[in-house]
Amino acid sequence: MSYFSNISSAITTLVDGMKVTMGYFVRPREHVTLQYPDEVWPIPTRNIGVGEIDSYNTIRSKLVVDFEDCIGCKACERACPVDCINIETFKAGPEEDIGTTKNDTKIKLRVTSFTIDMSECMFCDLCTHPCPEDCIHMTPDYQFISNDNVKLDVTPEERWRDRDHLIYQFSKVSPEEREQRAAEAAKVAAAKAAAMEAKKAAAEKAAAAKASAEQAALDEAAREASVVEVTQSAASMPITPPAPIGSSPQSTPLTDAISGPAPDIISVQDTTPPDDTVEKLNIPMETITSPEVSEEKPVATETTVEPEKSTDTEDSSTGETENG
Amino acid sequence: MITSLANWILTFDILSGMGSSVAWGLSLFVVAALIFVFVAVNAIVLVYIERKVSAFMQVRLGPMRVGKFGTLQTVADALKLLQKEDIIPKMADKVLFIVGPWVILVASVVTFAAIPFSDTLLAANMNIGLYYIVSISSIVVLGIVMAGWASNNKWSLYGAMRSAAQIISYEIPVGITLIAVVAVVGSLNLQTIIEAQGGTGNLFYWIPIPLPNWFIFHNPFLFIAAFVYLIGATAEINRTPFDIPESESELVAGFMTEFSGLRWALFFLSEYANATLVAFLVAIVFLGGWQSPFADYEGTQIGFSIITLVAIMWTLFVRTKTGRLSVYPLGLSFVITIAVWLFPGFAIWLASPGIFWMLMKVGTIIFLLMWFRWTFPRLRVDQLMYVSWKVILPLSLINLMGVAIWMWLTGEIQF
Ligand code: SF4
Ligand code: SF4
Repeated sequence: MSYFSNISSAITTLVDGMKVTMGYFVRPREHVTLQYPDEVWPIPTRNIGVGEIDSYNTIRSKLVVDFEDCIGCKACERACPVDCINIETFKAGPEEDIGTTKNDTKIKLRVTSFTIDMSECMFCDLCTHPCPEDCIHMTPDYQFISNDNVKLDVTPEERWRDRDHLIYQFSKVSPEEREQRAAEAAKVAAAKAAAMEAKKAAAEKAAAAKASAEQAALDEAAREASVVEVTQSAASMPITPPAPIGSSPQSTPLTDAISGPAPDIISVQDTTPPDDTVEKLNIPMETITSPEVSEEKPVATETTVEPEKSTDTEDSSTGETENG
Repeated sequence: MITSLANWILTFDILSGMGSSVAWGLSLFVVAALIFVFVAVNAIVLVYIERKVSAFMQVRLGPMRVGKFGTLQTVADALKLLQKEDIIPKMADKVLFIVGPWVILVASVVTFAAIPFSDTLLAANMNIGLYYIVSISSIVVLGIVMAGWASNNKWSLYGAMRSAAQIISYEIPVGITLIAVVAVVGSLNLQTIIEAQGGTGNLFYWIPIPLPNWFIFHNPFLFIAAFVYLIGATAEINRTPFDIPESESELVAGFMTEFSGLRWALFFLSEYANATLVAFLVAIVFLGGWQSPFADYEGTQIGFSIITLVAIMWTLFVRTKTGRLSVYPLGLSFVITIAVWLFPGFAIWLASPGIFWMLMKVGTIIFLLMWFRWTFPRLRVDQLMYVSWKVILPLSLINLMGVAIWMWLTGEIQF
């Protein structure tokens, strides 16, 4: 008898199921399909701004650079964790006036190329905060599809990637002008090198005259260099250095509390009073929110040793892109 | 149809010079081409309808972007499939791989030769039409096994073996249910079977509800047989819920995993040709084929009036039950009823047998098959065999006996 009850239960359950599907079939269209290009979901709005930029109310999506305001400082390029921003700058002549930004900052560098590889960008928003002119920012535009197959100006090494349309060029400088600037810069560099050569030759001639004095000077220089090296290694050592002299007793529990480069900073600057140390402790907290502090800090300690390193960008007169 | 076409060709002055055998061969070719075109267009239309039906049943929209409401979507898909690269796997058995899809397609297209589309429109009026269709359509399994074996892929082989087991199992109950009908009519000719269902009669012979004299209403055992046949045939054409040979979730796509482009399109063509064939057989054998459901002019008027009344009651029922007002069925039946009462010619046309009624019935059955497909989950392999050997087969045997006893009781046959 269970045979027939099986059949009847099968029929009733099947009819039940068919009723459900037919109910959906005949019902007025309550479809859940979103016809994408015609209809889109509303973009969620949320505040991603930090600190003063709290008017910055958008989702994290496509990056845009207000190119007129860019001063070519490369802070965004350095901040990017995936190195997808690529900036090429040339120094403008002293008498040239390129213009000013909306913050009335004088632009001193010509930005001949400003590319962001959107296929590598992970929309982390880290590049927007270091920008001193607030000109690189995120827009709510998340649609990267386009019909134009314009090949943008990218380096030959990147051409193998078949996603050229995702490398966004923001610089308004034409390729011809870019070449011209590069040639000019190369000329300037060559002239400088020639001048250096002449100077060197002159110096050599002078040096040959007093060889014995030079030997003594060399010894002096060697001694000085070793001293510099010792202080430098102490400053840049990533792990806690072997017990620096004169470190305050409070510093030991503090170093335990913090991980990262902060202990070195404290231990090297051994002359700072305890109150100051506590203030310095706030720095790692800030590094979490804004990356520029963490970028800046080691430079600040190193300035005493090698002052010419921080002005790297300004001196780039060789006409080559640093981050190739 | 072939003979009449040949005669028609010979009536032209220019063409009458050719011999009658040449004309016959030519018309043979034309009819074959027509059937193939029917199958191809049918597949394209049915794929579109199936996608739409499935979408609506799943609260989606289905294809919407190619043409108005996506009507040209399947045409675009077909063109895409034709352009695709013809890939034959390196380790595949080349001959069988090429032949397999064609065997399946030919087996399913050739069956349409015996299908009567209307009382005059059929390619070949065979006296063994039913037998021919059932036997030829079984060749499909040969092609499936060829394709599965030639693919040199374990999933394909599994799919092919399952398909063979399934089709062989379900052939038996399907054959027996058809034998029940043949026992009633006493002929294997499809035209004779349809002609036997003309006129009106009581429901199940004794219950005094006037209904068309179709076999599904003629006899309670044939009523059950119709559903047994539908289930068995669904299994035979590998449609859900019996699609274990090509179950996507287990076997990728079963025997067609390795196929792409045109060869894959052939599988689809034959799949929908088979579905249409089953729908045609159900319509012919149980639903009176090209017979009109209305006996005559007055029958049409009364019939549609009753349908409108039912529609009104149904609309009110839905309104009280769900609070929704569905006006489309009511409006449609109302319009047709008024037209039937106003234009007698329309009523007469509706009452006369023809291809319209055949296609209506076939469409209904195909919709039923789609409805099954998008409602029921797939059966397990052992459940499939259980259903075949332990449920459907005994039921069909009991039906065969029941039909014989019923015929004897109603006095339709004498011993
Ligand atoms: S959002 Fe992040 S990944 Fe994208 S460019 Fe800016 S810093 Fe780089
Ligand atoms: S940080 Fe701002 S100003 Fe500096 S290079 Fe980037 S976009 Fe330009």
